[in-house]
Amino acid sequence: MDEQYTFTKRVRNILAIAATAGLLLTVASIFIFKPDSSRIWANVLLNNQLFIGIALGGAFFLAVHRIALSGWHTALQRIPEALTSFLPVAFLLMALLFFGMKDLYHWSHSDLHDPVLEAKSAWLNLPFFFIRMVLYFAGWIVLTWGMKKQTDALMDSGDIKFHNRRKIFAGLFLVFFGITVSTSSWDWIMSIDAHWYSTIFGWYVFIGMFVSSLAFMIVLIWFLKRAGYLAVIRVDHIHDLGKLLFAFSIFWTYLWFSQYLLIWYGHIPEETIYFVQRREDFELLFFLNLGLNFIIPFFGLMKLDLKRKLNWLAGVAGVVLIGHWIDYYQMIMPGAAGEHAGIGLLEIAMTLFYAGLFLFVVLRALASKPLLVKKDPFLEESLHFES
Amino acid sequence: MKNKKYITVVFDDEVPMLQAVHKIQESDQSIQDVLTPFPVHGLDKALKMKRTRIPVAGFICGAIGGLFGFLFQAWIFTVDYPLVFGGKPYLSVPSFIPVTFELTVLFTAVGVVSALFIRSRFIPRKKFEPIHDRITDDRFVILVDAAENEESTRSSLQSLLAGISNVEIV
Amino acid sequence: MLQSPIRVPLIKGNKTYKDVTEDILRPMINRPGKVWYLGISLSGSALLFGAVMIVWTIWHGIGTWGLNRTIGWGWGITNFVWWIGIGHAGTFISAILLLFRQKWRTSINRSAEAMTIFAVICAMLFPIIHMGRPLLGFFIFPYPNFRGLWVNFNSPLVWDVFAISTYFTVSLIFWYVGLIPDIGTVRDKIKSRFKKTIYNVLSFGWKGSARHWHRHEVVTLILAALAAPLVLSVHSIVSMDFASSIVPGWHTTIFPPYFVAGAIFSGFAMVLTLMIITRKALHLEDYITVGHVESMNKIIIATGSIVGLAYLTELFISWYSGVEYEHFVLLNRATGPYWWAYWIMMTANVISPQLLWIKKLRTNLVFTFCLSIVINIGMWFERFVIVVTSLHRDYLTSSWAMYKPTIVEVGLFLGTLGLFFTAFFLFIRVFPVIAIAEVKSVLKSSGEKNPPKVEKNEK
Repeated sequence: MDEQYTFTKRVRNILAIAATAGLLLTVASIFIFKPDSSRIWANVLLNNQLFIGIALGGAFFLAVHRIALSGWHTALQRIPEALTSFLPVAFLLMALLFFGMKDLYHWSHSDLHDPVLEAKSAWLNLPFFFIRMVLYFAGWIVLTWGMKKQTDALMDSGDIKFHNRRKIFAGLFLVFFGITVSTSSWDWIMSIDAHWYSTIFGWYVFIGMFVSSLAFMIVLIWFLKRAGYLAVIRVDHIHDLGKLLFAFSIFWTYLWFSQYLLIWYGHIPEETIYFVQRREDFELLFFLNLGLNFIIPFFGLMKLDLKRKLNWLAGVAGVVLIGHWIDYYQMIMPGAAGEHAGIGLLEIAMTLFYAGLFLFVVLRALASKPLLVKKDPFLEESLHFES
Repeated sequence: MKNKKYITVVFDDEVPMLQAVHKIQESDQSIQDVLTPFPVHGLDKALKMKRTRIPVAGFICGAIGGLFGFLFQAWIFTVDYPLVFGGKPYLSVPSFIPVTFELTVLFTAVGVVSALFIRSRFIPRKKFEPIHDRITDDRFVILVDAAENEESTRSSLQSLLAGISNVEIV
Repeated sequence: MLQSPIRVPLIKGNKTYKDVTEDILRPMINRPGKVWYLGISLSGSALLFGAVMIVWTIWHGIGTWGLNRTIGWGWGITNFVWWIGIGHAGTFISAILLLFRQKWRTSINRSAEAMTIFAVICAMLFPIIHMGRPLLGFFIFPYPNFRGLWVNFNSPLVWDVFAISTYFTVSLIFWYVGLIPDIGTVRDKIKSRFKKTIYNVLSFGWKGSARHWHRHEVVTLILAALAAPLVLSVHSIVSMDFASSIVPGWHTTIFPPYFVAGAIFSGFAMVLTLMIITRKALHLEDYITVGHVESMNKIIIATGSIVGLAYLTELFISWYSGVEYEHFVLLNRATGPYWWAYWIMMTANVISPQLLWIKKLRTNLVFTFCLSIVINIGMWFERFVIVVTSLHRDYLTSSWAMYKPTIVEVGLFLGTLGLFFTAFFLFIRVFPVIAIAEVKSVLKSSGEKNPPKVEKNEK
């Protein structure tokens, strides 16, 4: 019951070395290969988005399960909770974009001479962009912190009032997140192709966040169980996570297809240009995106027993994580870096840096308190549930 | 159920019924069938039932449906009657997806339900004699094989199920 | 399975298995009361009126409707989308909530699925009538014919044909497969010889064998896993009837998920309308409790908020897009000649469900009942707004027009309402309104009689 994760020196060192090596290699590749500055900033944005998405997906997972009075997830709730602890760090990393605005966002140039973009300047202007960014992060951090605080209080006292309070935080988070997940993705990703627009875009980014977060949670559970923790997470919990990954990968495909089909069908040049660019200049990645995010989880997890094998599931989850990296790449690179884009040492090194940093922050948060919420009213139900 | 000879053991709750199933499984008697008013959780495990292969049938039907749906449309618009619609290519894959999807679902659904009906011999019957008239209400019935010797089976069942409450051996 | 002590029981009143059977079968076996006769004669007259209007339309042609060259789609398509949407809640309850292991669904899934089937029938009527020559309706199916033609698989209208016929078939077999064990119960309980024979045939010789139950459970899960994406696809494809065009106000990528959310939203409103009456009229208060109503209300908040977000997204992106036609359409919706429809839609769909955040209101049956009707009206207006306001201001001002429905169109709509309720009234006499076997299977874990035990289950 009081099992606690110890962030061992070995793991700590490995992660620190990975992150440092990632950072050094990034710097090295910048000096050696001299990539265009737009490519560097696009990479910063890509990794920010990926890991913010994983963190927010975790928060969404928690909030939804709490508000729906779910029982089964109680035994593993510390894991998505730990993911959210990256948000403050993510804010600092996101604020770095201040120095790369000109490279990433065409609309931020002062000499636009572009009537379409000038008409949008009420929304797309530098001060408001950063005000919004601060607002998003403030809301996310405060509300996830609130959920966390109530869970901690609940763990010690078992008082039902903390449970009710964290449900309130969950509800508030869902409302706030529902709005900001769209607006932030318009701000940070959609406005790269500033002329282009798609109403579904926010929801599409959101579902990518949720799927990548699920995949990350599965990989993390695989890691923790291999290290000998969380024996209470049984095959039934794994099965449920597998079902969620399977179902929401399909849902992701549905939203991807809705956007693609309608733009393809409508055939309006201002809209199709987005996909033309991606189909023609990034053809391999375009199809790889679908393959890794749909075909592999769909066929890989369709069979019942495959969802129950943690090693297999974690493998599929790993593929899906790569898939979502590619998905963000698809969304960001063609518009931001265009012909300067590529996949080389820079991309790999920077992702290595982010992954190391992210895991470091998350595992440190996970180690700071017991893995189970002892007096959670749903804990017994979760420990005994059968899927 | 080819073998008509059996002894009916009736329970009024699923918990003693499950206990009895375990006990009978451990003894040398064999269970022909268990009849319940609702799917009792854990009964299939207790009876060591093999998982049905209906999902496989579903997958095959779905694959047939999907392939048929896609190839049918592709054949029509590239071979049989190529026609330009709205400036789209003849083989316009995205607009074939919805129908392909629907046919996959339709074939799978019809396939699994047919498999269920065929495997379970669900046939509309005019005459039906229930083994116990409260099986669909609140009684749980174990049918124990009595092909060898009805009397000895009965007596051994009686001693076997002695500790369980509310049992009725008919 | 172990239950958390803070969960509220789903079935009230210390029921035994026998009580469950008898309570649920009672409205079927007893003679119907006055309310039932009153209800069915009202809905039957509406149905008759609708039938006359159908004949009228077919006899005299679509000219009897208020459509004109600019607005080629009016009430017909509005009603079609509205009915299909209402059907979605049934599938959502029976499929998606099953996959999410929501036990409270067991009390409402049967009637919600029945509602789905009736709603889809009502919906299917409209395109068929709108063809003008319904006898040639089979032209919409691809079959080898002497003209050597095929249907156009690139057309969303053909996708609709496939989507809705698949949806209808799958919903029907899903519903029937779920019904079989309960028909077995009816067969064993009913006294009349004649009825017994009929239910016997309908029960396909169901005997409750463990093997059959195992297969039945697996098939139910597979059907649920199929119906879940199916229900998404159906309303997505319906939305593509609009969204794949380039009409401003229609061509927007958010349409598929937004239509699905709206469908479930309106469908739950209709389920609430029906369930609040049904539980009262058939004395099923112990099975369909205030807790059930509250759960449904929570889904109404969720889907209603998603719909609200979609409205706001559309508004924002239409400004952000910088396309003047998009600007105009959205402005025209809110302030043009159909402003009232737009504001009915906004108030009923976006603002009113937000009241349900207050626990007092979402557990109040009278309030919920009224709200569910408001939402039904609001969602009807949503479709009206989408269809008519996007069309009535064409690119050329010379084509600008207004649309007013005729009595024939109103009659058709009333007729489908009549059909829907008549079918529902007949259904509650013929089949059990609550899934008996499913309720029994959650009785131990979620009934009042058995307090949750904290002990490990035998594996």
